[in-house]
Amino acid sequence: MSLYGVMLVVRQEFRVRLRTGRWRWLLGSWVAVLLLFTALLDLSLTGATGPRGVPLFGGLMLFVLALVLIISPALTAQSVNGDRERGTLATLQVTRLTATEIAVGKLLAGWGVGLVALALALPFVGWSIVEGGMTVLRTFVVLLVVALLIGVVCAISLGLSALLARSITSALLSYLAVFALTVGTAVTFGLSAGVIGGDRATAKVWWMLAPNPFVVLADATPKLPPAFDIQGHEIPQPGDPLGELGRSVRQLRDPDYYDEYADEPQHHPNPGPVWPYGLTFDLLVGAGAVWLTARQLRTPAARLPRGIRVA
Amino acid sequence: MRIAVRRYAVSIVRGGWAVTDTEYGVVARGVTRGFGPVQALRGLDLTVPYGQVTALVGPNGAGKTTLLLILATLLRPDFGEVRVAGLDPVHDPSGVRSRMGWMPDVFGVYEQLTVREYLAFFAAAYRLDGAVSNQRISDALLRTHLFEYANRPVHILSRGQKQRLALGRAMLHEPAVLLLDEPASGLDPRSRVELRDLLRALAAAGVAVLVSSHILSELEEIADRVVFVNEGRTVDEQDIHQLAANHMSQWRVRAADPDALRAALEQRGVTAGASSGAGTELPAMAEDAAAELLAGLVADGVRVVAFGPVGSHLETAYLAMTQERR
Ligand SMILES: Nc1ncnc2c1ncn2[C@@H]1O[C@H](COP(=O)(O)OP(=O)(O)OP(=O)(O)O)[C@@H](O)[C@H]1O
Ligand SMILES: [Mg+2]
Repeated sequence: MSLYGVMLVVRQEFRVRLRTGRWRWLLGSWVAVLLLFTALLDLSLTGATGPRGVPLFGGLMLFVLALVLIISPALTAQSVNGDRERGTLATLQVTRLTATEIAVGKLLAGWGVGLVALALALPFVGWSIVEGGMTVLRTFVVLLVVALLIGVVCAISLGLSALLARSITSALLSYLAVFALTVGTAVTFGLSAGVIGGDRATAKVWWMLAPNPFVVLADATPKLPPAFDIQGHEIPQPGDPLGELGRSVRQLRDPDYYDEYADEPQHHPNPGPVWPYGLTFDLLVGAGAVWLTARQLRTPAARLPRGIRVA
Repeated sequence: MRIAVRRYAVSIVRGGWAVTDTEYGVVARGVTRGFGPVQALRGLDLTVPYGQVTALVGPNGAGKTTLLLILATLLRPDFGEVRVAGLDPVHDPSGVRSRMGWMPDVFGVYEQLTVREYLAFFAAAYRLDGAVSNQRISDALLRTHLFEYANRPVHILSRGQKQRLALGRAMLHEPAVLLLDEPASGLDPRSRVELRDLLRALAAAGVAVLVSSHILSELEEIADRVVFVNEGRTVDEQDIHQLAANHMSQWRVRAADPDALRAALEQRGVTAGASSGAGTELPAMAEDAAAELLAGLVADGVRVVAFGPVGSHLETAYLAMTQERR
């Protein structure tokens, strides 16, 4: 795999996409939606105690994550089989571009568009920073995790597009995959905990929630340092959607800690974080999907997906 | 010719590449390929010498496209030996790709790009560097008569123009072996003549050209050799001129005075067939016998206006070959 080959594929994908879609329209409405959301959220926070930046940022990023999870499958779910349907894949494969270069290039092109969407949310992130209470670390980590999750969803969709003959099927299954990752993990967790029963049921099945993108994001969000006023009194923290979601996940992992020992942590070890498991799992799935894509693109092909002619 | 194929095949097995490497752009022996229950190739033999145009002829579903895909490093053969430009497409696909150009029978183009951008992308994908790339793109535009369309978007091109663009693309990296799957379909008569001249010029420059086509009358003018395939097997591999010399084909003669012609034919014991404006049908004869008859008629004082085979030799040979199918 060479950088030259990867970048050639990325540039080509970008160029072909830019000239097909109504990008200005789409990006324009994306910014408008974010603007409306941030403005309304900000308005609804008037009267809240403490700096409003924390709840504003948290709410905004959960909203952005939800939206990019909906957008991302569309970015790569037809990358491979769409090219095959249009008859442009085989001519690409007989050039000196390798299968890995094509796979990685297509991933980066889709991911890149997702990152552009994320970048367009930056002005609103700036808005929440201006409102106060945010730290640089928290801003950076949250944006990084969202960026990685976009890549994971793009990779899964790309893998499906390489695996399945028809682009409609792979698009549908990509959305199903996102649904499984979000709603599916929550439902599985809830049902399993219910079946096991008892106070400590969630401690046995917390890992089922781990791959959930919202759980990963919330739990990976760094804690805010306690804030003090000039007299040294602790300022009450405002609502913190990310932090609270993260805390409740850790509570599911170790119900005892929060029930009994939270005030005297010396008697009980801190419950460990959940996000490293979830993020690692998600990244591994994404990497596996890219590997699978490259394998499917490798020629000479011994087997073809059912119902496919090479040319 | 069949014997010759076997001999080279033996040299592959022994790894004796010194001769075949320089002489043949493509050597295939005993190639098989199945798609699930469908056996597309059942042991196909083929040689494509450098400096010649070899035609691949056979009925629909005979396995021509499948064979070309295997030669183009896209499909893996189940069994058999294949060499393209002296390399094994299964073990060294990238080596083959830099020496081989392929034009598929059905294909898409990046509709959003201009003609020049389209070619430039593939030049980059073949890793041609700046100056060389510009030169080759201009060359391709000139050879395919698309220069005036260079800055137009690909989607406005007609089908035949897209076909020519694909041909230009296949030649960008100056491959030593050129594989063309039905390149003439959709081309207007002038473009076909130009395609013929282009392929002849490439062959004269030493390229090994393999063309599949159903337009037999034209192949006869383009090709030096013909390989007949049917149901995934090589049926015959022949020199075009030999084919014409050996093959018994129908002939037709036209004279200024039809009655004198009939009388002369009768006298010579030739049973004449139906007569029409085009002339009088004659029974099947080899080329030698036909030449003899013509000389005789002229000697008899018949004023012969036209004397020639009905259809092309290739066509008759093809029809004879496929007759067994029914
Ligand atoms: N991917 C595939 N899956 C299943 N069957 C296939 C596939 N590709 C080819 N075949 C079958 O293999 C046989 C040979 O097909 P191929 O396309 O090589 O024929 P062809 O000689 O090129 O025909 P044509 O003159 O119509 O282009 C056909 O019976 C075809 O149905
Ligand atoms: Mg075909």
